[in-house]
Amino acid sequence: MRKTLATLLVTVVAVIALVSYRTHLPQRKRAPAQIHAPSIQRRHPAGTRAGTGVAISTPFTTIQVRAFILRGRLIDVQEVDVENDNAHTKALNDRAIPILHEEALRAGSAHVHLVSGATGTSTSYISSLQSAIDRAHG
Amino acid sequence: MAEYQVEHVMGMAVAIDVRDEIPSGAVEQAVAWFRHVDRVFSPYRSDSEISRIARRTSTRQMTSPVVQEVLAQCDRLRALTGGFFDTHATGRLDPSGFVKGWAVERAVELLERAGATRLAVNAGGDAVVRGGVPWRVGIQHPIEREQLAAVIEVRDAAIATSGAYERGLHIINPYNKRPAEGLLSVTVLGPDLGFADAYATAAFAMGRAAPQWLATVEGYEAMAILQDERVVCTPGFLAACPGGSPAASLCS
Repeated sequence: MRKTLATLLVTVVAVIALVSYRTHLPQRKRAPAQIHAPSIQRRHPAGTRAGTGVAISTPFTTIQVRAFILRGRLIDVQEVDVENDNAHTKALNDRAIPILHEEALRAGSAHVHLVSGATGTSTSYISSLQSAIDRAHG
Repeated sequence: MAEYQVEHVMGMAVAIDVRDEIPSGAVEQAVAWFRHVDRVFSPYRSDSEISRIARRTSTRQMTSPVVQEVLAQCDRLRALTGGFFDTHATGRLDPSGFVKGWAVERAVELLERAGATRLAVNAGGDAVVRGGVPWRVGIQHPIEREQLAAVIEVRDAAIATSGAYERGLHIINPYNKRPAEGLLSVTVLGPDLGFADAYATAAFAMGRAAPQWLATVEGYEAMAILQDERVVCTPGFLAACPGGSPAASLCS
């Protein structure tokens, strides 16, 4: 359970951060302050577990979120200790899920013309690349 | 006639794949260009201009215009990446993270001037493709050496991948001077290979903070494979994956 929670938290941090970032370019002027209820006051059903993710620092900002889990499902995400204004963050949280694309790493082979990422210092790479190209030509 | 040639130059395999008929000698010219770049920019050659600057037996102002241009671009990239692309990350001047991609772009121009319209140049896993039916580019699986993590289909694009899978090669986080952690690999897709390569290097150095930074980079798309083997992509990268996602692209 703890591992699941930790995984979820990391996921959530990554998602929120990814989404926040699109609209938090440092050069951009900040929108006028808006009046809003702090998101931390949202209520959750009895039995909800909360966990705070690690703070993620980027060259421009720091982002940290708190996740709420009820019976193994993520039901809410709130940003904590963030340098940006919360109303904006709330809007981003609402959009987070549709924008996210995340999946587990899979291994597979497919017919390709070339391979990116093999640094090519080894002869095995050269021969593998060669065979891939040959296959593509064939 | 169409040509395919692999050369070992600049310490890596450079594959030049031209699908059009071009004058004989054009590919050799491209290879000669890479050898020239190595002589000028290699930090491993004591007589290169870069080594002379590193030893302070020369200054940037004293070097050739092409070296000054490259170092100016590196400075720009350092600013664009919040300092994570740093030619001094290892403590000694090494602009290789930009030079390789920059050199490939110039080689592609050279081949295009010779008449090539459908071509791919892959320099140690960082590639530029041009024209024709979409090029299918496999992204190296960061753990399984003989496998792919994704396939993208692109025309007129640059693709760079940074990872920790080749033993002995580490990307150094310039802020703590230690090997970067948190990611297995980062792939950046966009219009220019020098920039794509530098962005991939910078993102890898950022570690876990990379995904949200990559989402802000204008004109470039990215895929990051995190330490726990999750894959995070920008929407534009997904769009390049046949099937709409990295996993689906492996079945295409």
